[in-house]
Amino acid sequence: MKNLWLYLHFPHLQLDTLFSQDPAEHALAILDSKTNTVLQLNTQAKEAGIALHMGLGTAAALDQSLQVIPYQADIERHKLKDIAEALYLVTCDICFFPPNGLLLRIHNMLNLYAGLDAYWQVLQNQLATLGITYDYATGHSPFAARMLARDAWNQVTNDYSIMKKRVGDCALKQTELHPKTIQKLNRVGIHSVANLLKLPLKDVAKRFDIDLVTYLGRLTGEFQHPMHFFHPPDHFHRYLELMFDIENTQTLQHPLKHLFAALEQFLKVRDLLTQQLMLTFKQRDKEDLLLEIGSAQGEYQAQKWLTLAALKLENLQLTGPVCAITLKTGETQVRSPDKSDLFSGKKGTLSALQLISMLQAKLGEDAIQGLALHNDFRPEVASAYSAPLIQSDTLRQLQPLRPSFLLQIPQPLREKVSIIHGPERLHTGWWDNKETTRDYFVARSTLGQWYWVFKTPDTQWYLHGIFG
Amino acid sequence: MNSILHYLKNKRLVWQAHQNVHSTAQLDSTGFKELDAELQGGFPKQGVVDIDSPVGIGELRLLLPNLHARQQSNGRLLVFIAPSMRINSEMLAEYGFNLQQVLVIHPDSPKEALWCAEQCLKSGCCQAVLLWHQAIEIHQVKRLQLAAEQGDALHVLLRQNKQVSLSLPVSLGMRLRAHPQGLNIEITKRKGGWPGRPFNLDMNQQWPQLTIQPRPDNVLPFPHSKVS
Repeated sequence: MKNLWLYLHFPHLQLDTLFSQDPAEHALAILDSKTNTVLQLNTQAKEAGIALHMGLGTAAALDQSLQVIPYQADIERHKLKDIAEALYLVTCDICFFPPNGLLLRIHNMLNLYAGLDAYWQVLQNQLATLGITYDYATGHSPFAARMLARDAWNQVTNDYSIMKKRVGDCALKQTELHPKTIQKLNRVGIHSVANLLKLPLKDVAKRFDIDLVTYLGRLTGEFQHPMHFFHPPDHFHRYLELMFDIENTQTLQHPLKHLFAALEQFLKVRDLLTQQLMLTFKQRDKEDLLLEIGSAQGEYQAQKWLTLAALKLENLQLTGPVCAITLKTGETQVRSPDKSDLFSGKKGTLSALQLISMLQAKLGEDAIQGLALHNDFRPEVASAYSAPLIQSDTLRQLQPLRPSFLLQIPQPLREKVSIIHGPERLHTGWWDNKETTRDYFVARSTLGQWYWVFKTPDTQWYLHGIFG
Repeated sequence: MNSILHYLKNKRLVWQAHQNVHSTAQLDSTGFKELDAELQGGFPKQGVVDIDSPVGIGELRLLLPNLHARQQSNGRLLVFIAPSMRINSEMLAEYGFNLQQVLVIHPDSPKEALWCAEQCLKSGCCQAVLLWHQAIEIHQVKRLQLAAEQGDALHVLLRQNKQVSLSLPVSLGMRLRAHPQGLNIEITKRKGGWPGRPFNLDMNQQWPQLTIQPRPDNVLPFPHSKVS
């Protein structure tokens, strides 16, 4: 099988990343802060006559309303990763060429898609969803593809002769050779790649350094080009730089929607669920704010997470304006669809676990309790609250006639009551230093309320429960 | 007849007093024969039941047979929201409840309690929600009523009505008073029916130890005479 490579070059990645949602109305330029020259610009800026590599002074003179943004390699690196993740859904071997290029090995994908045209169609559709401008080219070697794409050749072919001819036509300036080497070659009358490739490699090796030989070998595809292919990460981790600072928790929901949509996509293709999300809000001049959102059942759907996040955000107090958000997932688990009976009638929209997660998100973990039984005769120990939906395992025989409500701490009895039943003696707890000796009675107050009272050995009367 | 009225009547949106047939709402036995007879079937399957009662006279015991039957039949959650005291799991377990299907929620404020109740009712995974709430308003009851219908759940509102208030739009309203043999019940409101006279419910069969049987007429108390 002949090797075939496809290179995608993103000429203004930072500009696209920042303004893909809402295109700017006026001229924009991304500036290299070291050299003070224009690196990327939008159409409005081009119309104003601004060109690449122009100095800031000239550019500003051409358009007074020009908005200038410093170049940040980080943004492009993050975006490149996102693009790779999106493309990984349709193609397997992806290699990064930072800061703004991706190389795809495509000859092994052609069988799957039954030809180059079909493959390219699918890839184009996937790229269209990202809303990014790109230049592309195929090549017989990684370097060839890269050179042609950066030259905006924008053609896809598997005909080697066309690609080789096109590579030969390129000037030496377009190669990735060191300027000094190019100068040396120019001096001996070599101006295009074709001129250079005509020379036997042995002679080139004698006259020039080994780097040139390696480059040529890789350009023609004779030498192996070592590369590290992209592996999709196991965990979702995304950083979102906000266009403007947000001080209101309500407004935060909008960027969160984007993050959760990306999360849904990530989890859905892996058929995973996650039970916990960690959101970090980067606050300007203030400490980062960490927010954990849990779902007992595990979710992947953006809408469900958004509901939970909205409940959490209600209780959140921002100390400063938020300028960036990071979203990370905790443990993930494989999704196992819940099987419910089709014939059992009307179904609600939530499962018990989902309901509990929602209540916990709003009220805090401790507000929702389940009931548990412990193997003890003391009523305050036997009856306990526990985490919700936990099966308690008690084999002890249950006592009849217990009240439905218990007082947290028994209160001294201050009412006149008449004893109806009793006594029932409890003498227990000698093993854990909380020895209790009580005689329990069922009593009725003058108002007709049924009380559960006890008498201590020193004839103190206490109210411990109420029969509701 | 006025055409709008006619239309509403055909749609069964207007209730007329001469319609003595039972409403279409499904009913669930309360577990007490006398009460079933008074309610012409039992508690509504879904909707809001308003219980105005002092604490500790047997208001919960009145509900337990019905709640237990519901849990047995569909195994959905039973939720207690904002009870004034701890719920004793021993008692529920002894009565036969599956404790795994019981939730107790302690919200920080009455407003949050209402929110919880609505979410639980709406979710469809709760069979019944018991809410202790003192000052509920008409629009809040309406919301709960709708949520209960949506989630096919029973909402029981337990309160101690101190002052006379407006009638709430509930499916069933009851006022409970203490009585030695059980409870004195007055049905204050019933959807598609008339409120009845107060009557006594004998709980001796279910809870013999929590009732006081009247002395038979032919027995005289032994005189407390001091032996000199």
